[in-house]
Amino acid sequence: MFYSITLTHILTLSSVLLVLGLVGIVLNRRNIIAILMCLELILLSANINLVATSHFRADLAGHIFTFFILTVAAAELAIGLAIVTLFFRNRGDIEIDSADRMRG
Amino acid sequence: MLADILFLAFATAIILGAGTVVLARNPMVGVLGLVFTFLNAAGLFILLQAEFLGLLLIMVYVGAIAVMFLFVLMTIDIDFVKLREGMAAYLPLGAVVMLALLAELLLAAYAAPISGVGNPIGEGADTSAAALGALLFTDYNLPFQMAGLVLLTAMVGAIVLTHRRRSDVKRQNIAKQVLRKPEDSMTLTQPKVGGGVTASHWEPQTVEEK
Amino acid sequence: MVSYFPVLVFAALAVGIAVAMLVGPWLLATFKRDKVKTSAYECGFEAFDTARRTFDVRFYLVAILFIVFDLEVAFLFPWAMALEQFGWVGFVSMMVFLGVLTIGFVYEWKKGALEWE
Repeated sequence: MFYSITLTHILTLSSVLLVLGLVGIVLNRRNIIAILMCLELILLSANINLVATSHFRADLAGHIFTFFILTVAAAELAIGLAIVTLFFRNRGDIEIDSADRMRG
Repeated sequence: MLADILFLAFATAIILGAGTVVLARNPMVGVLGLVFTFLNAAGLFILLQAEFLGLLLIMVYVGAIAVMFLFVLMTIDIDFVKLREGMAAYLPLGAVVMLALLAELLLAAYAAPISGVGNPIGEGADTSAAALGALLFTDYNLPFQMAGLVLLTAMVGAIVLTHRRRSDVKRQNIAKQVLRKPEDSMTLTQPKVGGGVTASHWEPQTVEEK
Repeated sequence: MVSYFPVLVFAALAVGIAVAMLVGPWLLATFKRDKVKTSAYECGFEAFDTARRTFDVRFYLVAILFIVFDLEVAFLFPWAMALEQFGWVGFVSMMVFLGVLTIGFVYEWKKGALEWE
């Protein structure tokens, strides 16, 4: 059904998405919520990889793992955002730099 | 041919949406960019014949995760512009590292032929939720149970972290209400005419909570 | 691919209706505000106020519980579709999965996370 698009093209897309997510983490490195959003982008790039490989190899295993990644992403986000709200409640901001009280 | 054009459209939209997430000044706009990205990724998944996963992506990400981000943004009151100060300080080094990483990834993707990708899923192949289920509940049964445990952990963890019992609120204790008997709360007396009732034998019960 | 044409029509229709709803009042409606109209309905938010007023954190707990059960439903779809293909093993495994999540549900209920105090 694809005429000239191959797996390599889709891998390019997911590579760009991965790097964009990492750039987002570097750029928004003080804002926890933005970092969590960029983590979602990175997980999405992994999902795209899995689904694309699954498509081009005619093997459904990739779909299953995408399913599990979705589950883990949701769980990670539930806990992550719970920590953010708790952090905000205790500290009054969400800046990562102020999470420095666990120094030895 | 149509599929190729659609792929390019979806890919462009995904990159644009991700760029919005990364560069958004207002985190609300960032969440909307995330929603846009995931909608287009769902389109891409459907194009790659992962129809169920595409719809699931909309259901989970747009329906739940984006809503949760919005909730958190609404519950905390933060000057997000202040958080962007000093944002450019790490940009040069970060850009170099990230470009190197991208170059490596693309080199890996383009250099070597990837084995076993010659036969894409056919047009009429069964990639439905039923086919997925038949695989998920046989070969991948154990990971499925693990997913259940992960969800349990997330649920319990979120409650432990965010739930606090407020002590300044009166609560209804249904069991206590139901188990309450007339003898506990009232007494019948036979007062003499003109004698009145002395309340000495009755004390108001202190209602202890918790 | 052709089978997705209805989805395209649906999307176009949705966008069209949304735009019509946004543009229509702007062209047709009259704006006469008075005190009663702009007051909050029952216990809701003020109608004309900053949109960035913060919510109560308790909304967030409800959202988290929703996301977990959303995933649970996501696993139920393929299970229900393929139930006759794998028989009792898959059935029992789903019951175990639901049991595990029920443990969490009982926990949150007992903990009082569902109470609106």
